[in-house]
Amino acid sequence: MRHDLRTSPRRWLAAHAARQRGWLGLAALAGIAAGALTVVQMALLAWIVSRLLVDGDALVTLSGAFIALVGVLLLRAMCQWGQELAGQEASLRIRVSVRAELLDHLAAMGPVRAGSRHTAALASQLVEQVEALDGYFARFLPQLRLCAVIPLLIVLVVLSLDWLAALFLLLAAPLIPLFMALVGMGAERLNRDQFALVSRLSGHFLDRVRGIATLQLFHRTAEATAEVHEAADRYRRLSMRTLRVAFLSSAVLEFFASVAIAVVAIYVGFGLLGYLEFGPAGELTLFSGLLVLLLAPEFFQPLRTLAQHYHDRAAALGAADGMLALLDEPVRHPAAGREEVPPEDGLVALRDVSLTHPGRGRVLGPLSLAVAAGETLVVTGPSGAGKSALLQLLAGFVTPDEGERRARRELKIAWMDQRPVLIHGRLADNLRLAAPEANDDELYRALERAGLGELLASLPQGIDTPLGERGSGLSGGQAQRLALARVFLSNAELVLLDEPTASLDEATEARVIKALAVLAEEGRALVIATHHPALMAMGNRRLELCEGRPVDRTGTASGKEKA
Amino acid sequence: MNESWLKVFAPWLRLLGQRRRRLAIGVALLVATVFAAIGLLALSGWFITASALTGMALAMGLAASLDVYVPGGGIRFFAVSRTVARYLERLYNHDTVLRLLADLRSRLFAAMARLDDRTLARQRASDWLNRLTADIDTLDSLYLRLLAPPLVALAAIVLVAAFLALWAPAAGVAVVALLLPAWAWLTFGQAWLGMAASRRQVGHMQRLRSQTIEHLGGMAELEAYGSQGWHRGGLSQREAALNRDLRRIGNVAGFGIALVNLAIGLALVAVLWLGAAAWQQGAISGPVMVMLPLAVLALGEALAPLPAAFTRLGASRGAAERLNAVERASGNRYGTENSILPAGPLSVRFEGVGLHYPDALAPALAGLTLELAPGRRLALTGVSGAGKSSVAALLTRRLPPSQGAIALAGVPLGRIDEGSLRERVAILGQRIDLFQDSLAANLRLAAPEADDERLWQALAWVDLQAWAASLPHGLQTQVGEGGRALSGGQARRLALARLHLRDPGLVILDEPFAGLDATTVARLSQRLDEWLHGRSVLYLVHQLDGGAFDPPGITEVRRLEQGGLTVCAKPGYPSG
Repeated sequence: MRHDLRTSPRRWLAAHAARQRGWLGLAALAGIAAGALTVVQMALLAWIVSRLLVDGDALVTLSGAFIALVGVLLLRAMCQWGQELAGQEASLRIRVSVRAELLDHLAAMGPVRAGSRHTAALASQLVEQVEALDGYFARFLPQLRLCAVIPLLIVLVVLSLDWLAALFLLLAAPLIPLFMALVGMGAERLNRDQFALVSRLSGHFLDRVRGIATLQLFHRTAEATAEVHEAADRYRRLSMRTLRVAFLSSAVLEFFASVAIAVVAIYVGFGLLGYLEFGPAGELTLFSGLLVLLLAPEFFQPLRTLAQHYHDRAAALGAADGMLALLDEPVRHPAAGREEVPPEDGLVALRDVSLTHPGRGRVLGPLSLAVAAGETLVVTGPSGAGKSALLQLLAGFVTPDEGERRARRELKIAWMDQRPVLIHGRLADNLRLAAPEANDDELYRALERAGLGELLASLPQGIDTPLGERGSGLSGGQAQRLALARVFLSNAELVLLDEPTASLDEATEARVIKALAVLAEEGRALVIATHHPALMAMGNRRLELCEGRPVDRTGTASGKEKA
Repeated sequence: MNESWLKVFAPWLRLLGQRRRRLAIGVALLVATVFAAIGLLALSGWFITASALTGMALAMGLAASLDVYVPGGGIRFFAVSRTVARYLERLYNHDTVLRLLADLRSRLFAAMARLDDRTLARQRASDWLNRLTADIDTLDSLYLRLLAPPLVALAAIVLVAAFLALWAPAAGVAVVALLLPAWAWLTFGQAWLGMAASRRQVGHMQRLRSQTIEHLGGMAELEAYGSQGWHRGGLSQREAALNRDLRRIGNVAGFGIALVNLAIGLALVAVLWLGAAAWQQGAISGPVMVMLPLAVLALGEALAPLPAAFTRLGASRGAAERLNAVERASGNRYGTENSILPAGPLSVRFEGVGLHYPDALAPALAGLTLELAPGRRLALTGVSGAGKSSVAALLTRRLPPSQGAIALAGVPLGRIDEGSLRERVAILGQRIDLFQDSLAANLRLAAPEADDERLWQALAWVDLQAWAASLPHGLQTQVGEGGRALSGGQARRLALARLHLRDPGLVILDEPFAGLDATTVARLSQRLDEWLHGRSVLYLVHQLDGGAFDPPGITEVRRLEQGGLTVCAKPGYPSG
């Protein structure tokens, strides 16, 4: 049922376009003005020729018309520029708002749901795919409106000159939607087939590039290079088979535009010679004949331009489809971690909560748990027992499917897992993520307490040392301690730690544990999910999970288990 | 850093130059298309005017006649030839572009195949690879966007001007005087105006992508600390910077597009004026006077594609620069000489070896001295990041050491012939690369000459024979992208089978049994032990626990910690 309710990509794009009605309208208006000015330009041209050749006017007496012609050209150039600028402005604004919509939705989904998707693919959706909407809004949509207005305008002008010539164009007019469908089908098929082919070819190329190290080690790179060429050439041959047909549709359009000129030229010529006895042909003059000839290609021009932009539409629809699939993902319960009902006791409490993951069934619960200020709770259990899910629930990253979470008003939380976020920037920026207002002294102190004092002393630039993309330059242990420094820097009362020492060597692990002990001494509540005995020993309460349920066993220290 | 743009594009232009004939034919077809359009409009104008004048003369009772068949036929010819030329041109030039794509890909692949581990590791870490493929796509359209159109436009301007000059020399001069500067502006001027923004834009886009990845990957922490808004602020700033550049590029390109029509229009006005003057002086006939401006009018088609392409020249330049960097990086390899490694087990020697990654805060290896006698099996232990993989990368010559010397069988590593090194040193790394190809093809990577029987033997050695025989396509079964159709354990065993097809003197095994179940390990461990007999072995393992998962026959153990050896904690292995 959900699927039926889903907005179609077309409608979603239209809704975004509607919000930029002003700029898009301006783009179309400027385009129409440019089209009208083209008609004026052609009329002036035909009029000048006619005055010279038919009426025998002297050239100088026509200088006014020449000046008017230059004026029209200038005005038309400005309209064209205006069309480009307005279309671009609309497209830029729409892209900003689409990106914001996607980011808002991801934020509403929460770190767990959003995090379950492939990050690089999501990022490409937010960057490249949003940029792929450009042509559709900036060029295709304004052009679509021009296609409706300009041919009509030209038919009306031609009608006033010679109704039979207008009839030629009118006969072609019902064919226009047909051409559009033809071109559209051609372009769409071209796009689909080409896309499939190109992605297969890229897949082959990427596959070989990813394995280059292996190819080097087997000394097989020369053969692989030949294979890459061979694959690209095979796809070329396949592509050409599709293109031969696909290009036909635009050739048909081209053909009609050419034939229209030819037919009009011959009709007008014969009419002027007096060979044609019927209809209005006898009344043709050089002015009307020449103008009809000049306007005939302009009649088809908007459509030819549209055909050129047709792939923009296909690209936008493809991108919109993927974006709608993302926007269709359910968000967290609106109350999640926002509207805070304070628990009766402690910082945060879970009451009869359970959590299910699609495809995995229930991963946690039913379970009740309260975390009191200042306590250290250790959560243990085999992998897949629901430790991370419990921490995510406590943090409010997911909403329970049953039961409820209550947190103290304005509860400050710190979070640390095995893959701390590292942002491209200075060390200081990476710390200020936890406390944007912190001053340098506070940063130094936090680093010191997290056991990074030694490293800091060895860095000539101190906290201004730049970190590369994704923290390149830091070892795993250093990154982990950087995340710890963030915890120190924040004044969070509740610290949630998901396997904070996994994949650390013994020395680093010992340092991290010592730092965690300092945190506990500061009176912060710690919830630690771990396998490590040394960390387990830290807790003054222990919760053991098995298949999402608490195991009824007395914990290490004072166990006041509520579950 | 700031090379001239000719130098940046030179290698790629040379590559295009290999298909000079095709490119020339493509340009000729483009020119034919443009001239068919010009001919159609100009001849039609001439015909209508001639008809009108003849008609008027006839109406006045003068004796006048007009041959309608030749121009009529000409008009039909141009109408059909414009369509046909356009169709052929599109087909032919797309074929050319796809051929160029094949050339570019294989050339770049050859360059990448010479890259060292550091650069290759970077491609995994970031989206370097995606950018690279995008850059290739940018360059494959170099010809169709940046090379052919200006040539065609120039040819069209010059030829039309020459044609005009035949009738009215002044009109020809006016066209050249107006449209040549316009052409120069639409190419060089537009490129100059858009250069900075279009070069920057690629960088902004890339940074926006990596900031987005940070934002998505760090959602948990950002939300916990309430700093999502703070990070979103950074994203918005980057987006605004990108949009500033896009706006500038768009403004400049839009200006160029408007300019095309203005320049053509002004040339038309000038030609009309000069043509009329020539007609009034009796130098040309009325129909010719009409034909001249119409020929200019049809030139618009040739100039139209220039501004949009040239405003974004900076992006193409950036792409070429990045690809040039790949080619350069692949150039500084070892000064390979031709020492051949001996048969039998190889000795290994590391002397004071240090390795420093350019952007790392601490060295990956420092002062590492290590010796492995022929036929012995050294286990190097340590947590991830301790430097084990660096040792393997150095030993397989996939990275040059920053300090110190490495020798295999007494031969300095840098002197060994590439083929000999690859033949005598085998490695089973943590990452198993399987290619989107058949089982057989993936196995033959190790032994191109091996017949099916040998492949089956190798599969039997890793207990995959029964499984492979049960597959409907047997050895021809496709393993999917990156071996996705196989389980992790199967992939690892396939990699072991690949090893078995070779006869190396030194074997490096990185966690050889990772992801395998206990029964398989028990069987494989024994076979591996036998096969490793008479070879030198370097095991890389996280930790030894004395259990069944420890690799077989270890003769010595060293522990790596933060890039250096520590005193061995487990002296329990015999030294003989």
